[in-house]
Amino acid sequence: MEAKTMDSDAFERLSLCEGTYGCDSDSEGSVDDSVDDELCYASGDIPKLQFRLMVKLMFTVRKEASKARWIEELRMAEVLEKKGKMWTTTGIVRNGKTYCSIEESLYLAEIGALDIFNGDDTTLPLSDMYGKLAEDKNRHGCSWESFEVYRHLKFLGYIVGRHNVSWSIKNANIKTDAQEGMAELDNIRDRGSVDNSFITEMFGNLYIGETRPIFDVYPPNSKFRKSSPGNPSFVLCLTSGYPPSKQEIEDLETRCNGSPLKFCIVEHGRVSFLSFSKVELPVLP
Amino acid sequence: MSTIVSRLQSSLIESNSQGLLSGCSVLLAAHPEQTELFNHACFGHPIISAEKDKQWFQLSLEEALYLCSVMKCIKVVGENKCEKNDEELWRYMTSKKVGFPFLFKAYSHLRMKNWVVRAGTQYGVDFVAYRHHPALVHSEYAVLVLSDEDDNKNARLKAWSDFHCTLRLCGSVAKTLLILHISKNGDGAIFPSSLENYCVEERIVTSCMWRIPSMASVSNPPLEGLPVTSDPNLSQTMSEKEKKDTVRKK
Repeated sequence: MEAKTMDSDAFERLSLCEGTYGCDSDSEGSVDDSVDDELCYASGDIPKLQFRLMVKLMFTVRKEASKARWIEELRMAEVLEKKGKMWTTTGIVRNGKTYCSIEESLYLAEIGALDIFNGDDTTLPLSDMYGKLAEDKNRHGCSWESFEVYRHLKFLGYIVGRHNVSWSIKNANIKTDAQEGMAELDNIRDRGSVDNSFITEMFGNLYIGETRPIFDVYPPNSKFRKSSPGNPSFVLCLTSGYPPSKQEIEDLETRCNGSPLKFCIVEHGRVSFLSFSKVELPVLP
Repeated sequence: MSTIVSRLQSSLIESNSQGLLSGCSVLLAAHPEQTELFNHACFGHPIISAEKDKQWFQLSLEEALYLCSVMKCIKVVGENKCEKNDEELWRYMTSKKVGFPFLFKAYSHLRMKNWVVRAGTQYGVDFVAYRHHPALVHSEYAVLVLSDEDDNKNARLKAWSDFHCTLRLCGSVAKTLLILHISKNGDGAIFPSSLENYCVEERIVTSCMWRIPSMASVSNPPLEGLPVTSDPNLSQTMSEKEKKDTVRKK
């Protein structure tokens, strides 16, 4: 299979290109039979443009890639050299340094936008990155399925971060914790961020095997600032084998502070996104 | 719709209309004016017969109970021509149809908001709900009634395949899936005041699905995914809220 790489700048231009997306959110749900008879839409007409453009870009020549070092104790990569504008929407900032989660690192490595190194400066190949993901997901907080969803959301241009992990903190204490799914990077209460004990709870054993929130998803935004990202468009929950009960949905809604929830099911190479939106049907005349 | 329903109500009261309980239906004879009102208000289905001066209608249990006990415009008699009171009707219907209390609560919840509610069997759901007469609009919602009393036997949407199936079906018929969660708080009251013990929560289930592209499948362009500009659920929830804030009653 010939290598396919991505021009990272071109890719970001695509990501930040808000005008491409036209969605008539007022239109009635209807099925576009011409696309695929296995597809089911809930609302709106979705342009094919963005994805075809994406596919084209995958064949362009790679420019210089950014560089990062994988830090096993943190289960994150510390970014050493940044190339391109994608860093405004990728990675978390602690004490002025940028760190990428495993899904961010793997995604960028896959498209050839990031070269990852080990502690001893040897190259960390893609196969090893896949290997790390395949290890017990609780070590890295991300499973293969979560990664597939992450990657596809990125293709669509969304800005995606781990749920309840601050994008940027100054004066942070970087701490490692082998018990949790992800290193606890914040020991100090940041103004506006989530309470520390809550983070511990989130990444503890509470959610293993059940439906849990994994990503905060923001719409494409060229003015996105990690220092003030605003509220996510929706919080994505990865589901367990069974649909969430009404109680589970309500509990998750409470925990996510009113952000809309979407539930994703990854099965047989297909991702479905479900929303269970509370409504109140109007009284008609 | 509420005007039409009121007119139907007045007309039925005036003619002392009586329905005959038969199995899981109630049969009722209507004169021409009432026939038109039944059709416009979407209650019952006409029965084709040779009878010229009246039109027989077949009402579902929910429709009959609603007309009888909530709108109080018809009486219902059993096979011995004895009029059944509210409680007798309730007991009868509950014994005839699994989950009847919750189905009826859902039905009356929507009807009281002046939505048109019809059986949803042909769409694999409990009801379909329209804003106006079906001839004027496509159905808005395919309604499934879920209750916290569902045991494993009757539980709906147990597995993800149930969701895919129902959503797929709803999508092909241009309907949005509306789930009515009905919970019962408290006992002791008898029908119809017991209806007030039930709470209804409305949720819309929307979905979209795509195949995850892999490098190998690049030659077959993958399918579209989520709309990116705005969350349709957000704007939908917002507009519902706005409508709620500016409720207009005729």
